[in-house]
Amino acid sequence: MNCGRRPHLGPRREFAFATAFLGAVMALPAMASDVSTIATTVCFACHGENGNSITPIFPKIAGQQRVYITKQLKEFASGKRANDIMVPIIQGLSDTDMAGLGAWFSEQKAAPGKVEDGELAMVGKRLFHEGNVSTGVPACEGCHQADGEGNERYPRLAGQHQAYSVSQLNNFKNGTRANDRGKVMRAVAERLSEDEMKAVAEYIAGL
Amino acid sequence: MNRYLLALLALCSSGLVLAATAEVQPHAPGIESADYIWNEMDSEKLLALRAKVNLGNGKVAFEVCQGCHRANALGREDGSYPRLAAQHDTVLIKQMSDIRAGRRDNPKMYPFVNEHVIEAQEIADIAGYLQSLPSPASNGKGPGADLETGKTIYEKRCVSCHEKNGSGSAEKLYPRVNGQHFAYLLRQNIDIRDGVRRNSNPKMVRVIRQYSDEELKAVADYMSRLPPPTVATAPAATKMQKAPAGAR
Repeated sequence: MNCGRRPHLGPRREFAFATAFLGAVMALPAMASDVSTIATTVCFACHGENGNSITPIFPKIAGQQRVYITKQLKEFASGKRANDIMVPIIQGLSDTDMAGLGAWFSEQKAAPGKVEDGELAMVGKRLFHEGNVSTGVPACEGCHQADGEGNERYPRLAGQHQAYSVSQLNNFKNGTRANDRGKVMRAVAERLSEDEMKAVAEYIAGL
Repeated sequence: MNRYLLALLALCSSGLVLAATAEVQPHAPGIESADYIWNEMDSEKLLALRAKVNLGNGKVAFEVCQGCHRANALGREDGSYPRLAAQHDTVLIKQMSDIRAGRRDNPKMYPFVNEHVIEAQEIADIAGYLQSLPSPASNGKGPGADLETGKTIYEKRCVSCHEKNGSGSAEKLYPRVNGQHFAYLLRQNIDIRDGVRRNSNPKMVRVIRQYSDEELKAVADYMSRLPPPTVATAPAATKMQKAPAGAR
């Protein structure tokens, strides 16, 4: 057997390689084959049962668009979407896991949100469906659809926690969230007032 | 040393601020510049004019526009956003390209139509999709106070390009004006007359220059009442194998 010029690894390093390889082989299929285990043991802690978070600052992801979830996971991992909480948690997820989690959560039944201020929601309703002509805010329904369900290109908003929606709009506005395609959401959020954000988030909660 | 450091810091932080905000429209020379050529071709416009169009992709790509231009591209009756349905694909391609290049100023629209949002192929797809949409006679009309003046001016000065029925010309890139909202037509009339719409055709500027606001209002009113087409016209852009001639 001729190994050419390759240096001999030595028994200890060969052993290390072998165990690492074995570990990977053993761990990967287990994770990839059962994203529901990851979802119900890891994601569960913040995103709640089946992705229906009950904590307003953590988003509901049940029924979210598959493509969107997978994109966010990839971008947390790559740093394109900055998030101190998510980054350490999702380390070790493979692309397959991320795709699997996207599919799994998208198939979960979304629990409805709750409007807390009906009057405010009515203000938000107008913004959601009509936009604000004077400031150039497009209607949300243009992309996110009239029922807030989104589609392959745009995330689902319906039933989301008010606090989370407002936090994301603010993050787009101040640029701390910068993983929107072509800066479109940053352009929209830049034109929104704080009051408009709260109103539209209130309406979205009831969709 | 400290001053350099401060300047560097300022530069860095301004860069960060810029990164956080929307895309800003560039500024390209237009009608105000001496060597302006109307409808001068650039590679992007040519690419879009010659592209093989996919209407399904156009519908999807148009979603980012419909928050303002509304579903089915009917625009708003108050003219804040124009109707795009049934407009010639060639005209739509020209306008999108001009806004992308900064030849037509529209800082409000730019963040949604720039190259990071809409690919060159999608310009063609969107234009084809929009042209295929029906344009019902529900567009915003003017007050109807002086339609005689409007008709007289229109038939004397506008029909040679925009046609008697307001259908314009896809091949010559003259926009369809029938079915368009009165308030939008009026705003464009005034902006073209006053040089604000910088990608205007100089031939039109020469014609429109002599008219008062009141006269332009009458013409816009008359145009808004021209009946829109009942059947969609065939796409013209894909048939354009060579560049349409720019106006002299």
